[in-house]
Amino acid sequence: MKIKKINFWYLTSFIISFAVAIPIITVFSSFFETTTNYSLILRDTFLYDYIYNSFILLIGVLLLTFVLGVGCAYIVSFYYFPGVNFFKWALILSFAVPAYIYAYSLTAFFENYGTAFSILKNVFGENDYNSLIPKFDGMLGAIISISFSLFGYVYVLTRASFHYQSQNLIELGKNLGFSKKKSFFKIILPSARPAIIGGLSLVAMETLSDFGSVSFFGVSTLTTGIYNAWISFDDLVLANRLSFYLLIFILGLFILENFSRKKAQYHLPSKGGFKSKVPITLSGQKSFLAFMFCFIIFFISFLFPVFQMLYWTIIFPKHFMDLNINQLFLNTILLVFLSFCFLISLAFISNYGNRVSRSKFLESLTAFSVSGYAIPGIILAVAFITFVSWFDNTVISFFKVNTIKSIFIGSILGLVLVYFIRFYSLAYNGIKSGYLKINYSIDESSYLLGYSKFKTFTKIHIPYLKNSIFLIGILISIEIIKELPITLIMRPFNFETFATTAYIFASQDLLEAAAAPSLLLILIASVFILVTSKYILKD
Amino acid sequence: MTENFLEIDNVTFAASDKNKVSNVSLNIENEGDVICLLGPSGIGKTTILRTIAGLEKVQSGKIILKKQIISSKDTHIEPENRNISLSFQDNCLFPHYNVIQNIEFGAARNMKKKKDLSIEEVVKFLHLDHIVDKFPHEISSGEAQRASLARSLLSKPDLLLLDEPLSNVDQSFKEEIQVKLKKVLNELKITTIIVTHDSYEAFYLGSKCGIILNGQLRQYDDPYNVYHFPNSAEVVNFLNRGILIPAKVTGENSLENQDLGTIKGNFIKHYPKGSDVQLLLQPEDLEHDDRSNLKLEVVDRKFRGTNFIYTLKTLSNLLIPVFVHSHHMHQHEIDEKFGIKRPINIDHIVCF
Repeated sequence: MKIKKINFWYLTSFIISFAVAIPIITVFSSFFETTTNYSLILRDTFLYDYIYNSFILLIGVLLLTFVLGVGCAYIVSFYYFPGVNFFKWALILSFAVPAYIYAYSLTAFFENYGTAFSILKNVFGENDYNSLIPKFDGMLGAIISISFSLFGYVYVLTRASFHYQSQNLIELGKNLGFSKKKSFFKIILPSARPAIIGGLSLVAMETLSDFGSVSFFGVSTLTTGIYNAWISFDDLVLANRLSFYLLIFILGLFILENFSRKKAQYHLPSKGGFKSKVPITLSGQKSFLAFMFCFIIFFISFLFPVFQMLYWTIIFPKHFMDLNINQLFLNTILLVFLSFCFLISLAFISNYGNRVSRSKFLESLTAFSVSGYAIPGIILAVAFITFVSWFDNTVISFFKVNTIKSIFIGSILGLVLVYFIRFYSLAYNGIKSGYLKINYSIDESSYLLGYSKFKTFTKIHIPYLKNSIFLIGILISIEIIKELPITLIMRPFNFETFATTAYIFASQDLLEAAAAPSLLLILIASVFILVTSKYILKD
Repeated sequence: MTENFLEIDNVTFAASDKNKVSNVSLNIENEGDVICLLGPSGIGKTTILRTIAGLEKVQSGKIILKKQIISSKDTHIEPENRNISLSFQDNCLFPHYNVIQNIEFGAARNMKKKKDLSIEEVVKFLHLDHIVDKFPHEISSGEAQRASLARSLLSKPDLLLLDEPLSNVDQSFKEEIQVKLKKVLNELKITTIIVTHDSYEAFYLGSKCGIILNGQLRQYDDPYNVYHFPNSAEVVNFLNRGILIPAKVTGENSLENQDLGTIKGNFIKHYPKGSDVQLLLQPEDLEHDDRSNLKLEVVDRKFRGTNFIYTLKTLSNLLIPVFVHSHHMHQHEIDEKFGIKRPINIDHIVCF
């Protein structure tokens, strides 16, 4: 490496990427450490179940999110029918409902003597309806909960891709004599492939690292295995090693997709050749079917959990009254604000550092550090605690200064730092996608007009990317509002958010008490989504 | 130290191994001189501009601007500190600012510098009045190119680098803009290097032209000399304004071609009698004469507005271009016979 290359931007980027990579390195290093006998027991007993269940869960969720996400995106992008403009943004409201809250709603509605039972009893009178009501628990419940909570990723990205597909492509299909079906499968779908894969990748990572809903439904996956290895058997190394397997699994999926794509390109520069799409106006039965398809998905993904939580909040007002809403709100917003500032500013600086340094080494380090998104929140939190403890016991004690454990463990700072590692990928890649739209010659023009790198950053890049920053910031905020495992582990004593309050009640089988914090969580997240819906749909 | 305004001393320009231009030496003597670089696509012309601007580093040699080394193996002044402006071939306007805001970015630089040029003047002469409020994605590539040129001009650089500045501009504006651009550059004494593939543009705008071929600067001279006295067969072929025909030197100022007979004129280089040479024959070297007994078959005729270029086939199948004024009364159709005035006299004889 040339000494000359190490400038302020390079150094800053390096430090940020390296700091994010530390817990990931901790996970990887577990491979060289010895584990307890539990690893042998696990290998002979549950490991197969963990892998099998994770795989089934993943396949089920990917299939369902693909159908829901691509189906909705296609209908609202290519057709015009009553309510289409409403559904375009209403369908993204599902982002506001975390999978674990969806799981509570699903159980509450379909369980014996649950909401469905009450409705049937009120409408049709006393009867044994429990045997008639389907039960969505176990693996099926987990697949449904996670899918309806996450299909928004596939919907948003696919819709954006459809939105920017030129009408020329569609007309080309017609010109070649393709039927609508053939056009869809041969032209429209393949050209949206990177977006669909992008959405499904996010879904895959979220699914494999899901803790709240799988633990609620009692499905043993690799994530719950990790949790058990750490909590029940105190085997941190094994927990890390299981995470490593999880990472490899996800990495394998990416490589497979990249390999199958080869050198194919899925978009052409739109310069001069782009023609906006003209949606086909549906009428009669077709219009009704399109409306119903979108409405049912909107109802199931958003209205259903909201109504369920609202129903319980109303019929059990005591739980609502007992909540310290102001404190929960302030705590949640404090975390959102700190994480937002921290993530956006550092991800922005790191992106710019990568851009101006054009260093392969830095690029590789950053690529490695953003893989933190694939690591379950639990393991990141554990890895962080492990690292801080090691650092405290070796480096800090060597200098004989006060322990730093209390600064980083069980503190707001520690919590925000782990959020930072967990969501760095989201912030970094979000800003990067904005940067990809800025041709490098724009930077060069700026230099040639006498602007320094810093001035180029502040005068050209920040104004250009402000919408992207805002959008990414809001997406991160929504994720933090919903985040559960990291908050549970890292939060200071007696520091609760809506998510942790809901989880604590639900884990005590007090679903009706979990309703009010869940409802408030959904409402706050919905407000954030509504504020940004215009940008989400555009970008 | 050199007295030239810009000196490029034995520099190897390379963004990659593919487009490498080696051991280039050229000078711009005076402030305000305009030179043009011509060469085929992908040869490395843009790399030369980018390197002079400081966006690429030199591999060897040095670049000196106003008596200061700006690039060498050990020195690299950052682009923002060079006061050199580069107008890119492709649209590189800031996408989130409208056209006038983009142009103002240029004007904001060197505001105290004397060169007087107002935003209004530049906007007017580059025909940008109607698009000043538009954003880069709302304008055509030709308009974007003109806006970028305006921004560069207004930045009052010590050295202006223009990469194919008018390649996307409509033909209707092109000549007018060329005239005005030349006037502005001369009046404001803006030293400029223009890269272009249009030899007419280069001959018009540049006081000197550099021809880059096969990774080297083949010729650097004033436009008249580049056209009439190309220094190699490669330059002749690149300019495509004449052909090389076989001939034998028959005397101090004559040579003989199998099909055209005796050709007289002044050799610019001495060749011994009896030498076999390749003679450069340009369209204006031959004169049309219907009464001549030297008649050749017309195989093509290109109407160029002010003139026709006839392509004639000789008995030995050479294809010879001949210039004829477009008001010439007797037009010839393809396959007809076309008379060439004899004896053939060429002002200056260029041979290889």
